[in-house]
Amino acid sequence: MKKRLPLILVLVTGIFGAVTYFIPHHSIQAADESMRNDVMRIIAAFSLVLGLGSILQHHFHKIQHKAQNWQYSWLTVVTIFVTGVIGVFGGMDPSHPGILPTQIGSFSFHMQTLYMNMLVPLGATMFSMLAFFMASAAYRAFRARSFAATLLLAAAFVLMLGAVPLGRMIFHPLPSFAEWILAVPNTAAKRGINFGIQLGMLATSLKILLGIERGWLGGG
Amino acid sequence: MALSCFLALLICSISPPGNVAASDVPNDGGGSIAVTWSASPDTSLVGYQILRQVKGDTTWDTLTFAGRRATSFVDQAAQDGTEYHYRVIAESNTESAEAPVSGYAAARAQWFNFDTVPALIGSVVLSFILLYFISRARKDRNLFIRRISGLDAVDEALGRATEMGRPTLYVPGLSGISDVATIASLNILGEVAKKTAKFGTPLIVPNTDPIVYTVAREIVKESYTSVGRPDAFTQDIVFFITDVQFAYAAAVDGIMTREKPATNFLIGMFFAESLILAETGAATGAVQIAGTDAVSQLPFFITACDYTLIGEELYAASAYLSREPLLLGGIKGQDYSKALFVIIIVVGTVLALAAGLPVLEYF
Amino acid sequence: MQFWKRLQSIDRRWIYLVVWLVVMIPLIFPFKIKSVATAPVESLFTYIDTMPENKGLIISVDYSPDTQAELQPMLVALLRHAFAIRRPVGILALYPQGLGLGEDAIRQVTAEFNAHAKSGADSVISGREYVFYGWTTPPITPMLGMGQHIAKVFPVDYYGQPTESMPAMRRMKNYDDVGILVSIAAASTPLSWINLAQTQFGIHLGCGITAVSAADYYPYVNSGQFTGMLAGMKGAAEYEELLEQGMVKRGMDWKLRRKGTEAMSSQAAAHLAIIAFIIIGNIAFFVTRRRKS
Repeated sequence: MKKRLPLILVLVTGIFGAVTYFIPHHSIQAADESMRNDVMRIIAAFSLVLGLGSILQHHFHKIQHKAQNWQYSWLTVVTIFVTGVIGVFGGMDPSHPGILPTQIGSFSFHMQTLYMNMLVPLGATMFSMLAFFMASAAYRAFRARSFAATLLLAAAFVLMLGAVPLGRMIFHPLPSFAEWILAVPNTAAKRGINFGIQLGMLATSLKILLGIERGWLGGG
Repeated sequence: MALSCFLALLICSISPPGNVAASDVPNDGGGSIAVTWSASPDTSLVGYQILRQVKGDTTWDTLTFAGRRATSFVDQAAQDGTEYHYRVIAESNTESAEAPVSGYAAARAQWFNFDTVPALIGSVVLSFILLYFISRARKDRNLFIRRISGLDAVDEALGRATEMGRPTLYVPGLSGISDVATIASLNILGEVAKKTAKFGTPLIVPNTDPIVYTVAREIVKESYTSVGRPDAFTQDIVFFITDVQFAYAAAVDGIMTREKPATNFLIGMFFAESLILAETGAATGAVQIAGTDAVSQLPFFITACDYTLIGEELYAASAYLSREPLLLGGIKGQDYSKALFVIIIVVGTVLALAAGLPVLEYF
Repeated sequence: MQFWKRLQSIDRRWIYLVVWLVVMIPLIFPFKIKSVATAPVESLFTYIDTMPENKGLIISVDYSPDTQAELQPMLVALLRHAFAIRRPVGILALYPQGLGLGEDAIRQVTAEFNAHAKSGADSVISGREYVFYGWTTPPITPMLGMGQHIAKVFPVDYYGQPTESMPAMRRMKNYDDVGILVSIAAASTPLSWINLAQTQFGIHLGCGITAVSAADYYPYVNSGQFTGMLAGMKGAAEYEELLEQGMVKRGMDWKLRRKGTEAMSSQAAAHLAIIAFIIIGNIAFFVTRRRKS
C-alpha cells in the first residue's frame, strides 16, 4: 500500500493534468487551477518548513560536534533567525511597516532594504564571477585535439570577435558571419537537441504515470 | 439651400460598420462571445464603440472602445447561457454612425477544444509507439542501446572516490519536482546512492528545493536500505541549503572547496550558475559527470566537465544504469519516434522546396 | 619544455588576475570603440525612428536587478529614442522587480531631457510624453487587455494618477495606436508576447535580451515575429550609437552617457584576452605534444 497509493495518485493526477489541456470547460479548468494554485502551494509551504528544519539541523549538528568551520554555522543560524524575525515582524518596506521598528535614524533594515542592498549585490557578484570562470575554462579546455574540437575553437573565435566592435575592424564581414553561425547551424543543432529532449520528457512522463519508472518513489 | 445641406451631409457623414454578428467563442471554457463587423471605410474614423444588452433588458452597457483597424471584439464578461446582442458604433472626432444590432448569442463552455486535435493525435501516436516497445521489451530482453560514455564512467568515478577516501557530491539541479529533468536526476541519484552505500563512499546531496530535498532524502535512505546498509545513512547526507540561485551556487562551491569531493555529479536542470559550479569542481580536481536538458547550459558543461549527458541521454540514464528491460523498451520507443520526426521533416522540406518548382505549373 | 608544460597547468588565479585587469583598466581609462549596428539592431532602430506620427511605443520591463547591467542600458536608450522623436511611450512591468528599474530609467532620462528643454513644450512630463503604467498580475492580463483598452488594464498609473484622461493615453488607446512593443527580458517573456499579443492582435514586437539567450531568439527574428532584437551589452551599444547619430541630426548633440558603449572597451579587451589565452594554451599544447612524440 505504501508504494501503491503514490502510484495511483500519480496516475490519476497525471491523467487529469494531461486532460485539462484538451478540455476547456470551466469546471475542469477550475479544478486544475485549484490543484496548481492551492494544493501545490500548500505542499510547497509545508516542505519549506522541512527544508528549514534540515538546514538548522545540519548546522546545529556541526556546532555541537565542533566540526571544521563550525563558527560559520553559528553565523548561518543567527542570520536565519534575524532575517526571519525582520521578515515576519518588521514589514516589507516603510509603506508596509510591521510591529517591529526597522529604522534607526536614517539606517533602515526592512526586508526591501535587505533584499536590494545585500541579496541583490551578492547575487550580482556571484553572477559576475562567470567572466573569470569562462576565461579559465576556455584556457583549460579549448584545445585543438581533434577536427571537431578545432571547428569548435574556430567558431568560438569568430563569435567572440564578432561580438565586439573590434571584430569588424579586423575583418569587415566577421560580425555577419558570427550572426550566421548563431542563426543557422547553432539554431539547427538546438532544434535537433530539443526534439530529443521533448521526446525524452514524453517517454519519462509516460513511464512515471504508468508506474514503470519508480526510482523517484525511493528504491522502487 | 436644401441642396447645400444635403451636400454637406453627404460630405460630412461617416459610414457605419456592416454585418455586425455575435457568436459564442468556440473551444473555450465559456464566458466569451465574439463580435465581428466589417470595417467602416471612412478615413476620419477614430474607432468603434461596442455596447451590449441582455435579452429582455432595456439598458445598453458600454463595453469598450476598439481602434479603427479592429473588426472584432471578444466580450469576456458574458455569463454562460445568458443571451446578449451587440451594437457597434463607428466614431470620428465629430460624428458617429451605427450598424444594425447583431443577433442574439449566448456563451457556452465546450467540453473539447478541437484546436488541440493535432496535439492529441501526436500524443496518441507517440504514446502508442512507446508503449508498443515497452511491451515488446517484456518478451525480448536483449535490447541494444548504444554506449553512453558518461554513464559508463559512473562506476569508475565512484571507485575513484572510494580509493581516494573522498566524498561524492551529487547536485540534483536547481529546478522543482515538477520538472522532468529533476525526476530523471533523482532516478539516477537512487542508482548512485546504491553504489556509494555498497562501496562505503561518503555522499553529499545539497538541495535547493524543499520538495526535492524531501524526495531525495527518501530515495537515498531507501537505496541504502536496499543494499543492506541502513546504518550508513545519516541526516547529513541529504540537506536543504536555500532556494536562491546564486546563494545555492556559492554554498555548493564552498562544499567543493572544503570537502574536496573526488567525484561530482551535476545532473538536472541548471541555469546561469552552471559554469560556476562546473569550473569550481574542475579546479578541485574532481571527476565531473554532468547532465542537463537546458540546451543553453550544455556548452559550459561540455567545456568544464569530463562527461556530459546531452539532453535525452539524461532521460535514458535510469534505464541505462538499471538495465531494466521495460525502461530500455521506452528508449527504443523514443528512437523510433525520433525516426518518425526525421521522416516527417525530410518529406516536409522536400515538399516545401518542390512547391516553388516551375514544372509543377503543368500539373 | 618545462616552460610550456608549466604554462599548460598555470594556476587559475593568474588568469583571474589578467581578466580582472583587462576589465578594470578600460573602465578607468576607456578607449572609444565605435559600434556598427548589426541587422537586428538596425531594423529595430529604423522601425521606431520611422514610425508614423500617430503611433507610440510600449516598453515592457521584464527583468530583475540580476541582469540590470546588461539590460538597463537598452531601456534607457529606448526611452531616449522615444522622447527624441516625440512619440508617446508607455512603460509597464510584468513582474514587480521591474518596477524599480523602470522608475530609475524614467527618472534618469526625463532629467536629461528636461535639463536641455528650452520651453515647457520641450520638456518631458508624466502623462503627456509618457505613462508609467506600473504592474498588474497575472502577466496575461496586460498582454491581452492592452489590445482592447490600455486604460482598462491600468486605470491608474504607477503614481496613482487616473490614466484615461492623460494626453499620452488619448494618443495611445490600445495596440492599434502602438507602433511597436519592445520586451526587455532575461527569461523567455518575449516569446509569451508573441504567443499572446502578436498572435491575437498582430502588434509589431521587438526584444532586448541577454547575450547568452540571443541564440534562442534568432529563429524569431528570422521569421519576422520580432521586428528587431538587442542582444546583450553589444546590442545596447549599437543602439546607443545609432541613437546618438539620430539625435545629432535632430540638433540634440547632448553627449549623454552611454553605459552600453562604455562597457564595450572592457568587453572587447576581455574577449581579446580570452582569445589570447586560447591561442597560448594551444601553442603550449602543440609544442608539448610535438616534443613528447
